Amino acid sequence: MATTYAVVGKRVPRVDAVDKATGRSIYGSDIYLPGMLHCKILSSTQAHAKIKKIDFSKALAVPGVKSIITAADVPDIMYGTVGNIRDRSFMARDRVRFIGEPVAAVAAIDEDVAEYAVSLIEVEYEPLPAVFDVLEAMKEGAPLVHEKLQEYEGSTGLRKGNICSLLTATRGDMDAGLSEADFIVEGTYRSQPINQGYMEPMACAAEVEPSGRVTIWTTTQAPYAIRNTIAETLQLPMNRVKVIPLEIGGGFGAKLRVSFEAFCVILSQKTGRPVKMISSREENFTAIGPRLECVATIKTGVKKDGTITARQVHAVYDTGAYLGPGVGAGVGHSTGPYRVPNFKAESYAVYTNKIWAGSYRASGVADMVFAVESHMDEVAACIGMDPFDFRLKNILEEGDRSLTGEVIPTMGLREMGEAAKTGSNWNTRKQEDGWGIGVAFSDWKSGTGASTATVSLNEDGTVSVLTGTVDIAGSDTSLSQIVAETIGVPFEKVVMAKKDTDAAPFNGPTGGSRVIYSAGRTVLQAAQDAKEKVLRLAADVLEANQDDLEVVNERVQVKGSPDKGRSLAEIARLSSSSKYGSIMGQAALSQLPFAPIYNAVVVEIKVDKETGMIKVLNFTQSQDLGFAINPNSVEGQMEGGAVQAIGRALYENFIFDKGKPVNPSLTTYLLPLALDVPPMSTIMIESVSKEGAFGAKAVAEPPGFGAPAAIANALYNATGIRIRDLPLSPDKVRAALKAKQSGS
Amino acid sequence: MKKNFIILNVNEEERELYVYPHRSLLDTVRDELQLTGSKKGCDEGDCGACTMFLDGNPVTSCMVLAVDAAGRRITTIEGLSNGTKLSPVQQAFVEHGAVQCGFCIPGLIMSGTALLTRNPNPTEEEIRMAISGNICRCTGYTKVVEAIQAAAASYSR
Ligand code: FES
Ligand code: FES
Repeated sequence: MATTYAVVGKRVPRVDAVDKATGRSIYGSDIYLPGMLHCKILSSTQAHAKIKKIDFSKALAVPGVKSIITAADVPDIMYGTVGNIRDRSFMARDRVRFIGEPVAAVAAIDEDVAEYAVSLIEVEYEPLPAVFDVLEAMKEGAPLVHEKLQEYEGSTGLRKGNICSLLTATRGDMDAGLSEADFIVEGTYRSQPINQGYMEPMACAAEVEPSGRVTIWTTTQAPYAIRNTIAETLQLPMNRVKVIPLEIGGGFGAKLRVSFEAFCVILSQKTGRPVKMISSREENFTAIGPRLECVATIKTGVKKDGTITARQVHAVYDTGAYLGPGVGAGVGHSTGPYRVPNFKAESYAVYTNKIWAGSYRASGVADMVFAVESHMDEVAACIGMDPFDFRLKNILEEGDRSLTGEVIPTMGLREMGEAAKTGSNWNTRKQEDGWGIGVAFSDWKSGTGASTATVSLNEDGTVSVLTGTVDIAGSDTSLSQIVAETIGVPFEKVVMAKKDTDAAPFNGPTGGSRVIYSAGRTVLQAAQDAKEKVLRLAADVLEANQDDLEVVNERVQVKGSPDKGRSLAEIARLSSSSKYGSIMGQAALSQLPFAPIYNAVVVEIKVDKETGMIKVLNFTQSQDLGFAINPNSVEGQMEGGAVQAIGRALYENFIFDKGKPVNPSLTTYLLPLALDVPPMSTIMIESVSKEGAFGAKAVAEPPGFGAPAAIANALYNATGIRIRDLPLSPDKVRAALKAKQSGS
Repeated sequence: MKKNFIILNVNEEERELYVYPHRSLLDTVRDELQLTGSKKGCDEGDCGACTMFLDGNPVTSCMVLAVDAAGRRITTIEGLSNGTKLSPVQQAFVEHGAVQCGFCIPGLIMSGTALLTRNPNPTEEEIRMAISGNICRCTGYTKVVEAIQAAAASYSR
């Protein structure tokens, strides 16, 4: 029973599309403030060393240099990336732990002068033993990245050597589960370091007024997190720090936390002038945390009929020099969307002397999806079962419980899986040499967390919405659709206010696919509240019962007698002198119930056995997403995520040599280009959720998960070779084919 | 180092400037003329976000020196629309949902426009080829290609 809506579910153009297509949108680097100075950073050349001395006298003498700061100018207050362990500060203090770590910052009249001054700063280092490989770092006796790990504030599961976090989970009886199995399959899977590849390098500006009030303009997914971190670490009251989020030229997780804002703030405090920093592309590889590798070993017990009886998982995440996010996925995403009655998982985060691990599209999950979904195919192969059927046999059923005991709403999971099978060429395989097909499933929780919104009705009947949620993927458009539909006005009558952290109360970040589900529900409630207030006043004015009123064509009228009514504009005008005051609806929400989303990708490939090159021929994905508020945005998210995942499958690889980034540029770190992209077909399964606005759940994360495993599985299907470490580069494929030939 | 005096003809307006000989056209247009629609994604010629036309041909303006662009006809994204009226390629990007974060979009629109001016009836392969110097991390290119295909109709008419 499809409900028909006037505004939601429609392909309306994004509200910001014209500004972006004409070059008028203002991103971080587009801020020009009167009298502003430019900031450049000096970063560490050593992977692990004591800082003996920093001499910046020559740099300070350069005409046009206004200030130089080092750790001595930054309050000695540590902060944490994840919020649970405070292991880092903005600038290296006494010791550097990775190549690229900021050591000093210069403010000068222009970028050239600042850069020249940076080149004159002399740092004397005393090198320390360093460790680069995550498995080496775990061993007893490995050089310690943080000698004072035990003293840090905050809690983690385990602190031992370089291990800075451990998460575990168990269910059922592992031994019994394994002994019930007819076969036990084990494999170790390794994913590679990945740079987020957002197109806009980090850029920000800060101005400190003589009163001490700080304004920060920045490109960010999380303005409140920036405000809070800056306020806490620079010891400023939160209400004296205003963060103005500008357009975001892509983030994918990288823009969830402070980048260079603190340097601009401190330099502005010192100079009394606004300070701007535009980072170079290279700095976005060397100073902003990428994802690092994950090594996951999975052991699964299975019966001949394909029933999974047990699974054991050991995951190790390289977290680089400071603890980043992601380790939770080693536990939470190691079952996949399947029933695993007996289960045990351990997931470690381990320090190494490399740049800290940052966030990227559901940090840590993609690594586990590669491991789990490659492994699922190996298990299917072991028992001689079709990989698709094996998955569908084991998927979660209504009533199954998660590791934490909640009932998992499976919603459209089976339908989503079946649709991927029938919507692709799974059942019509080609017999060509080198042709292969592979599948991968994945799941994600629609993100929740704090959101607030106010919806006000203006005196001409237009509607203004304020939330602190920043827009990356078209959310302002979808949120406007939700408000328009709820109040009963055309889409064009709704405008999202420009936001900053002074204007709206705390909102969670734009990340983890939380905006449409959580902020969507919040603006829905605020709009309902506003509408309720409209009807309440209209009932007085029209001397009617509130329940007998409806909004039709921007008019409140009595059901059945449409001539008895008032326009929304009239109601708004009357409201300001009414006993209720102006029409303003509001809502504040935190956690919403668990609303998982499910995705399947099916990939067809052709392997060139001479060169080892894999060409992706066709890409089908199916996703259960609740309800598509704006199908254009949904498809755009699904296509974009899929292409990132293809890059990760085939060639993206951020390489380090003894902690030194080898390919920190877009010339050498390859991102997918238009020619690399296969035909895409996207299937949207709408199994409406009870909690989301109009049934919407999340979209963005899962499309980025499946491709690496699906392509590895297709490669196996095509050639019989199994590659367990990413990327699936031609040299590895060639070597594996050769080994297979000589082996058989 | 001494600055040079140059006259830049940008979007049919003549601008007199003093610039260092090593300044790129991109930095000059952004910082001196405050035309910030052209973006700097890499400053190395890799990403295409800075694409402008020089005498009608697309160039990555981060790789062109401002002094070398003096006296030539420069068109930036700001010069494509006529007042508030969008060009056909801009309009198609808006209508086809080809715009996400938007950082790459000015460059892609310039490359798409250059292609259609030269070849009003491109194949899908030719479109993909024409934008292969523009990196977009958000869209996966599918809707971008569709938008350029749709815009082609108004060129081939
Ligand atoms: S900024 Fe010119 S090509 Fe990237
Ligand atoms: S739209 Fe974000 S990089 Fe293209």
